[in-house]
Amino acid sequence: MTNAMALNYTLVITGAPWTSQAPQSALNFAKALLSAGHRIDRVFLYGDGVHLASALATPPSDEQHWPALWVELLQEQLIPATACIASALRRGIIDEAEQARYQLAASNLLPPFEVAGLGDWVESNSHSDRVIYFHGTS
Amino acid sequence: MNTLIVIDRAPYGSWAGREGLDMAFSLAAFDQPVSLLLTGAGVHWAKRDQDATAIGQKTVAKNLSAAGLFGVESLQVDATSCERFGLTKEQLIAGCTLVESSQATLKQFDRVVFAN
Repeated sequence: MTNAMALNYTLVITGAPWTSQAPQSALNFAKALLSAGHRIDRVFLYGDGVHLASALATPPSDEQHWPALWVELLQEQLIPATACIASALRRGIIDEAEQARYQLAASNLLPPFEVAGLGDWVESNSHSDRVIYFHGTS
Repeated sequence: MNTLIVIDRAPYGSWAGREGLDMAFSLAAFDQPVSLLLTGAGVHWAKRDQDATAIGQKTVAKNLSAAGLFGVESLQVDATSCERFGLTKEQLIAGCTLVESSQATLKQFDRVVFAN
């Protein structure tokens, strides 16, 4: 679908799956954006939102698997997705490079999520037409 | 692109404000104009003479004091919230600007980000 008023969006998710609805709301919003002809520059996980990038989340089989549902969309639409490295390290979301650097027992970052600094968010903040935040509630 | 980071929750009970502050420092590090607004219970961030040693955390006012040094353009504190929590200007760290209307403040920025 083409849209003459198409905008570039960055979605920032700060709420964790199964703690907040943030990843679910962001997923629905992302699908609605794409079907309206808009583009998504990047998905940025920050704070508790980095738990969405855990390869080890294993919900019961009759519940939605938010990381898997997000991965499906990211891969299908080739959307870059970053988990903030400082948020991720604190919360035990680790890629192979950080596992080696800190000599940790395992890594658990779910591809295609990558870990990188807030610089990715800063870049999105200046380049995307809209930056939308999905926070947890407490 | 002029960005305002809003911290509206008290320090220490949640990491949200700290991560909000990191966002502000990152923008400043990349030479993007950024300011901070403390409102609601978030005004406690700016209280002088905090000491978080007993709870094993870093004192947030120390990080906040460095905001100007790192290039954060202004540190705005909502006056009504200060009044609500009994904080006077003298009890706040140096470099704070009291603002009477958060609404007018929000309007001055292209992007407003609530730390959560």
